Amino acid sequence: MRILLDQFTKSFGRLTVINKMDLEINDGEMIALLGPSGCGKSTTLFAICGIHRVSGGRILFGGKDVSNIPSQQRNVGVVFQSYALYPHLTVAENIGFPLMIRKESKAEIARKVDEIAELVHIGNLLERRPAQLSGGQQQRVALARALVRKPDVLLLDEPLANLDAKLRLEMRSEIRRIQLETGITAVLVTHDQVEAMSMCDRIAIMNEGRIVQIAEPMEMYKNPVSDFVAGFLGNPPIAFVDGVVTDGQFVTASGAMAVSLPFNDGARERKIRLGIRPEFFGPGGAQPVAGKITFVEAQGRETLYDVALEDGQILRSIQTATNTATVGEKVNWGIDVENILLFDEDGVRL
Amino acid sequence: MLRARPDGEVMSGSRILGLLLLAPAFVFVVLFFLAPVVLTAVFALTNMSTATGITGGAYQVTQSGMRELAERHGEQALADALARVRYTVDRTGIDAASVEGASTALVSELDRRLAGQSFDSRRELERAIKKLDNRPRGTRALKSLSALFERSIVNTRFATEEEFFDAVAGLGIELDATQRAALLATTYTGWTWTGENFSRMFSLPDTRRTFLNTIIYVFATLIVFNTGFALVLSIVTHYMPDRPAGIFRAIWLLPRISPPVLYVLLWKWLAWDTGFLSRILVPLGFESRNWMLDNPTNAWVFIVLINGFVGASMGMLIFSAAIRSIPVSLFYASEVDGANRWQQVRYVILPQLRWPILFITCYQSLSLLTSFEYILLATEGGPGGATKVWALAAYLTALNNYAGNLEYGYGAALALVLVLVGVILSLAYLRLFDFKSLVAPPPIEQ
Ligand SMILES: Nc1ncnc2c1ncn2[C@@H]1O[C@H](COP(=O)(O)OP(=O)(O)O)[C@@H](O)[C@H]1O
Ligand SMILES: [Mg+2]
Repeated sequence: MRILLDQFTKSFGRLTVINKMDLEINDGEMIALLGPSGCGKSTTLFAICGIHRVSGGRILFGGKDVSNIPSQQRNVGVVFQSYALYPHLTVAENIGFPLMIRKESKAEIARKVDEIAELVHIGNLLERRPAQLSGGQQQRVALARALVRKPDVLLLDEPLANLDAKLRLEMRSEIRRIQLETGITAVLVTHDQVEAMSMCDRIAIMNEGRIVQIAEPMEMYKNPVSDFVAGFLGNPPIAFVDGVVTDGQFVTASGAMAVSLPFNDGARERKIRLGIRPEFFGPGGAQPVAGKITFVEAQGRETLYDVALEDGQILRSIQTATNTATVGEKVNWGIDVENILLFDEDGVRL
Repeated sequence: MLRARPDGEVMSGSRILGLLLLAPAFVFVVLFFLAPVVLTAVFALTNMSTATGITGGAYQVTQSGMRELAERHGEQALADALARVRYTVDRTGIDAASVEGASTALVSELDRRLAGQSFDSRRELERAIKKLDNRPRGTRALKSLSALFERSIVNTRFATEEEFFDAVAGLGIELDATQRAALLATTYTGWTWTGENFSRMFSLPDTRRTFLNTIIYVFATLIVFNTGFALVLSIVTHYMPDRPAGIFRAIWLLPRISPPVLYVLLWKWLAWDTGFLSRILVPLGFESRNWMLDNPTNAWVFIVLINGFVGASMGMLIFSAAIRSIPVSLFYASEVDGANRWQQVRYVILPQLRWPILFITCYQSLSLLTSFEYILLATEGGPGGATKVWALAAYLTALNNYAGNLEYGYGAALALVLVLVGVILSLAYLRLFDFKSLVAPPPIEQ
């Protein structure tokens, strides 16, 4: 079902957390609300499911305005960060809870619970209680409970935050698989760009209560609208270098780095910020800069380097593990200027 | 190389220190818990009362004692003989006569002719005196002289058994063994060991009533207020905004923290025939009366209200804390799962309160069982014993009643029953709660 946030505003007392947000979520799409902690992602999610009442604007499910409908009557499924399973109920009772509340027949509930339990692969755990489950299993139960009554939209609030690294990887693909299999419209709230990029059709990146950019993951990675977005996506993160450009020639204030850019704003001197992703800085790069390796992190297949320029600014590089450079070594690696991201002094993409 | 540490010494040193630190607790337990229980048990096996005192007693022929001797031991004749007044011319009487101013001649004649003689009535003695040569002149002198020889052991206290039997023998009464025993039983004024308290307790209809009263009191207060109303309060305040909820809870805490005497006085003032209720109801055509003591039903309503308002606060606090410890996400989850308020209470809150409810029920049943102070202050068990509960009965019997005859022994027996019930319930409850920690399932990791 298509979800529309129209000028959605949310305040807690005098504190306005979300101000006039517009967001359209297409039917069957999985969209990520990505942003730093405290930017209002959960608030948005709680407004969509009706736990928070909106302070202004409208929320539409399909064509229907649900802004003033209590959460009990909105057909939404929510997976909470803490899973919020009912500790005194068995797995089967937890999953069947929304159906039991709706007074569906026992047989009907059992059938639906079995079906959804198969989907999320917990058919063998139905008689356990939440306390007897691992984090990943609890996660699956929460997912099953959210899905069992075929909600209009599935909302996931940091669903992977409480899992260890291995389980997180596993559940990432599991959640995506289940979303694709059911074709449900889903909103994933996360502060982890890897999750957002790997699981979702589109990403809405938020900062301080507003949406900064909405785009497909690779599009957003390649074409961020601002240095905030560029800095948020990508691991290891992009390196920024501030300086001035004159006639296509870029130089930092200290003169430690000078490159010519495929960007010409004329003879006038202009403050500019370069965004250099690690994959575009290395021994093969076209325009060399001098620096010293200050940090090496071997990740197995790849190795990460921090290179300090003479004035102390850091560039990052990621290379296949064949390179053997070590800490302290002086290097003269090059920048692939064709793939550099340029921002003006306010951080807006040029 | 390290030298072996004198572990033993260190251990015993710290053990002594530990025992020293525990000593006050031991003293406390022994002095304030064990000793009263033991004393209660001891008293329960005696017939101590105001009449017997709690130290030893004396031997004394009394009217009631003689009635008992006649009726329970079938010794009518002996009782009559003991109760009879005699006139005996003995040393004491003669000496008294000389002190009272009888002439030397009369005194010596009494000594010579009548000493040792005993008369069944005053008239006989006076007739004998009149025959003396030096007899007193005038009826008044004769009367006052004969009075000096009046002898009776009725109401005379004899410190020991020996003195008592000597005195009885002095009356010229011969006793066989059964008579001696019967006499001891009916004349001893001190307390004796007996199991009678318990047989009496189980045979008195009063006991049955007190027992039922206690059941009514404990269960009505417990169910309606200490858990029921406490639950309602905690759930209602949970759904209220924080500030009003806090104020609301504070209000319900007031009865608990106000001085009991004042608190009950307010209730009494409410119910007095010239009190608040009457002020309102009399103009509406109701008769003025004491609403609390008017009839047993009213008395019970007041008793349950008075105790319940005090008792609800503890449950309210415990339940509120338990509700607050439920993660807020559970409420959110149940909301999006479609649960309305009532379903939230039923399926989320109440299941989480199972153990707090059980705990409060157990704890409060014990404290209600032994608490009678509010009843004592409000109705004193009235009207006509309708609200007399077990603990109050024990208190009134042993320590405080209008009649003034305090039956320590019987009261202690009543109290002992309470102690036993309390201990048994406590042990049962402890088992119950221990059981919980045993059955809590260990988490199974994947
Ligand atoms: N119930 C609330 N009352 C007051 N402020 C709140 C409430 N919930 C969230 N906030 C504030 O709103 C902001 C956004 O919170 P949230 O949506 O939870 O952030 P996040 O993006 O980390 O999920 C934060 O500054 C938070 O302090
Ligand atoms: Mg959040």
